[in-house]
Amino acid sequence: MTLCGQPVLLLLLSVLITALSFATPITLGALSGVICERAGVVNIAIEGMMLSGAFGGYWAAVTFHSLLPAVLTAVLVGGLMALLHGWLSITYKVDQIISGTVINILGFGITGYLFGQWYAHNAPDSPGTLPTIPVPGGGSLQFLAVVAVILVFVLYAVLQGTVWGLRVRAVGENPHAADTVGVNVRRVRYSAVLVGGLLAGLGGAAYVPGYIPAFTPGMTNGYGFIALAAMIFGKWNPIGAWAAALFFGLTLSIQNNLQSCGVVQGPVPVGIVGMLPYIATLLVLAGFVGRSTPPAADGVPF
Amino acid sequence: MAETTTAPAPAPQAHIPVTTEQAAGSLVARLARDLLVPLLAIFTSLLIGAGLIALTTGSPGTALEAYGGLLTGAVGSPQALANTLIRSTPYIFAGLAVALAFKCGLFNIGAEGQVAFGGLFAAYVGYAVPLPGLFHPLLALTAGVLGGFLWGAVPGFLKARTGAHEVITTIMMNYLALQFVGLMLAGPMKKPGSISARTPDLLPTARLPMLAANLGLHSGVLLAVGVAVAVWWFLYRTTWGFEIRTTGANPAAARYAGMPTVRNVILAMALSGALAGLAGAVEVVGVALNVSRLNPGGDRYFGLGFSSGYGFDSIAIALLGRSNPFGVVAAALLFGALRAGASTMQFNTHPEVPGEIISVIQGLILLFVAADAIIRRLYRVPATAAGSAALTTGWGDKL
Amino acid sequence: MSKFFKSGNLLGAGLLLCGTLLSACDTGTTAANTPVPAADTAVPTTAMTGGTATPGAMTGGKKIKVGLVTDVGSINDKNFNQASYEGVQQAEKDLGAEIKYLEPKDAKEYAQLIDQFVSANYDVIVTVGFALGDATTAAAKANPNVKFIGVDQFQAATLPNLAGLIFEEDKAGYLAGALAAGLSKSHNIGAVLGTDTVPPVWRYGEGYKVGAKAQDPSVTVQVTYHSDVDISKTFNDPAWGKTTALSMMDKGADVVFGAGGNTGNGALFAAAERKDKGILCIGVDVDQYNTVPESQPVIVSSAEKKLTAGVFTLLKAVQSGTLKGGNNTGEVGLAPFHDLAAKVPADLKTKLDKITADLASGTIKTNVPPAKP
Repeated sequence: MTLCGQPVLLLLLSVLITALSFATPITLGALSGVICERAGVVNIAIEGMMLSGAFGGYWAAVTFHSLLPAVLTAVLVGGLMALLHGWLSITYKVDQIISGTVINILGFGITGYLFGQWYAHNAPDSPGTLPTIPVPGGGSLQFLAVVAVILVFVLYAVLQGTVWGLRVRAVGENPHAADTVGVNVRRVRYSAVLVGGLLAGLGGAAYVPGYIPAFTPGMTNGYGFIALAAMIFGKWNPIGAWAAALFFGLTLSIQNNLQSCGVVQGPVPVGIVGMLPYIATLLVLAGFVGRSTPPAADGVPF
Repeated sequence: MAETTTAPAPAPQAHIPVTTEQAAGSLVARLARDLLVPLLAIFTSLLIGAGLIALTTGSPGTALEAYGGLLTGAVGSPQALANTLIRSTPYIFAGLAVALAFKCGLFNIGAEGQVAFGGLFAAYVGYAVPLPGLFHPLLALTAGVLGGFLWGAVPGFLKARTGAHEVITTIMMNYLALQFVGLMLAGPMKKPGSISARTPDLLPTARLPMLAANLGLHSGVLLAVGVAVAVWWFLYRTTWGFEIRTTGANPAAARYAGMPTVRNVILAMALSGALAGLAGAVEVVGVALNVSRLNPGGDRYFGLGFSSGYGFDSIAIALLGRSNPFGVVAAALLFGALRAGASTMQFNTHPEVPGEIISVIQGLILLFVAADAIIRRLYRVPATAAGSAALTTGWGDKL
Repeated sequence: MSKFFKSGNLLGAGLLLCGTLLSACDTGTTAANTPVPAADTAVPTTAMTGGTATPGAMTGGKKIKVGLVTDVGSINDKNFNQASYEGVQQAEKDLGAEIKYLEPKDAKEYAQLIDQFVSANYDVIVTVGFALGDATTAAAKANPNVKFIGVDQFQAATLPNLAGLIFEEDKAGYLAGALAAGLSKSHNIGAVLGTDTVPPVWRYGEGYKVGAKAQDPSVTVQVTYHSDVDISKTFNDPAWGKTTALSMMDKGADVVFGAGGNTGNGALFAAAERKDKGILCIGVDVDQYNTVPESQPVIVSSAEKKLTAGVFTLLKAVQSGTLKGGNNTGEVGLAPFHDLAAKVPADLKTKLDKITADLASGTIKTNVPPAKP
């Protein structure tokens, strides 16, 4: 049996690979959100952190002409933005949504400004992108797509099974109780926010240099907010967030395949297909997922 | 609430003269004190921005040129002032929209889509429904309000009925709104014979009255200030406003007091959407895509690319204005001035300073206004009793 | 810029659709809509030899001030903003023009930026991109003494001071499609496109399909448009472009065409990643062999619009006072094969030459309307 000129199983595989590819930055961004918010620090700054990470990755890639420093720089830049988030929201107790908005605006502004200033008239050569992992039956997975999936389970295990994870959850649910039993709430929150930033930075690396050899201003294109939605959709749980990210990836993949297989060429406008992922999300939210409750002390300064 | 911990020592001393001054009712002194920190924040942000320009271009002169351009383009001439006001107008409406939702503990990321919806509705009335004189812009604006109201009510309803989080639903509805608008503009509402995705020109009767036609300045800015007063009155002088604020501040208490929290949530989101819709409507009947003295009496229409960027700018404006309607107006004027000045800034510099420096400055201003303790420490400004209150309560999800 | 011109100058390099700005080129698709048979004969046919002529600055023309407003996206997009600006830069070099560019942050800034140049008494303002069309028309109406050049802006009505520089993307797309189908071993090719709401992009896509089917009726053509609405996204999403192109390859495509700014570049990156699998790609608008070096091992050609030459030609006309309003049809064609010339069979090259000539003469018609109906 064939569909779209392909054996059905192969087509399904291809749809899944595409979904995984779309889901990679969303997954990493959502994990970033999960770890911050489980510690009680709202993170709407995923977009800004990812974009900054991608720019950092590009800068290091073209400066050092090497991929490993590029990935590390992307991760570190994400971490730096997170430290700013922590500094504002934990040390100065700035409203966490304001702090996140600051980082989103600054991330967009600084990366765009520096890119325009440094690379506007001479785009340097890049060392390319990370290697891919071939999939039996055709196609390949990006390296960081696999890393992201591994991290989902690592983060789940860390949150559920380590002392640090327990403390993170404690300060996110009831910081005062945690404080009473001797947990340093600020330090735990700082560490969680930092880890979140590193993850978002890795999400940036999933753009440059993980997948694309060149930086484009604003190239995260709102996926950081989709990641935020995935985090809430997944009820602040790493595996749930991953499932939500996959769902987004799958809807994007399906609407893409509907086009390339010619199902919606011609009379049906592309725009209607473009609505599918969002309508599907709304329906699922309204019908099946219902209330998603954040950690009790999410957004509450200590 | 941050103040007591960050600046413990000087606070009591500073506190005493404050109260005597308040007793004296010295409005000017109070205003000066309230404005001191924001002004220092703006000053510091500009200074850092200048440093960034000087550092990356290797010439401090470029920073001066850039800021000279910024100032000239924002306030340097009647035209520049008009540009600032024109730019600020939709920011005021959209900033009020986000602020109103904040007051109910709701985070409306959906202004982008609501603005587009309002614009689309207003444009339809503007080109398709012939009406005499003033009635026409009025009906167009009403249609815009209605469009935003309906589009905003959906996430409110979903939140109240199914618990679907408004952050996700408004993000999703932004995408949906833009897709829908794109379909309409490329399809049924497309100007016949045009190859761009845009509506026909609005009928001349639909245009908003002009304040200064030669400058392209329309009366929307007056409406915006009027609406800001109305929103303040609604929030602080009406029962519904009180209930919305209570629902936002403490939903459990609101429910315990017998307030209809479900209605309040839907109402707040719908009103928030209505304000954003008004932003789009005013843009359509006031300026549309041609914000320029080049085209004061020119055609108005609604085209693709209309509403890009309002959604997130309006969040920053609402936060900068601390969700206070008058603070929102001030913040919107500031953002509008920066935006209006940006093109002259680019124009005056060689090589051209990238316009994104404006976003850097905006981000820094928001940072320093929010973290005013940094500014106070930098400039040795004593803390006041009226510290910065938290505007939002996390995800506000305790409905 | 010099890099672009070396290879961008197609005089020796191969396939031209309209060898020069011939009126023959106008009989194509643009006539279908409004009968404004391009006033482009006004543009001297010596255009392409401009480089060899004596610098125009000497020949009595005054020193002109040229302002350029890009579309959303940056001046260094390695694509149409950049190529158009290079035409302005050439005017600086060859005509002694004073030049300046401005980048809008969003669509509402178009008019304000144009206004900036008008206020500073610029002689001619170049606006780049279909999206600036309405703002440019409004500005031209309000300022009859200033000349305007609208790149990718079809003029439905003629204004004396506004010259639209348009291109027959359907023909370029047709050539790209014929090339792709001719090269494909799997009889399966793909196209990753910006958005169908921008007519030039849509015409590339439609032309591509027609050209491919004419070359190989059995070929499968996978076409995907970015489904976002905001053009700051649809042309700025290389990650989407790459994923989409890879997905097409997984479904059998072995040649992909990327058309849509940074989004289309994503398709070129995808092909480069699969270079060991014999995947090839075709770029767009400019000779992307030069602008996207990562693609050099796999890029066989680009569906090229001669933006730089077209802009420069019109600027020269401004300087000599001969610019006329209306539509000017610039050249389109395939860029040189560069490193992959050996991969293109001789008979395919011959056939492409023939198609080129037939498209120019009107023997082959793409039947693509000016915009998506």
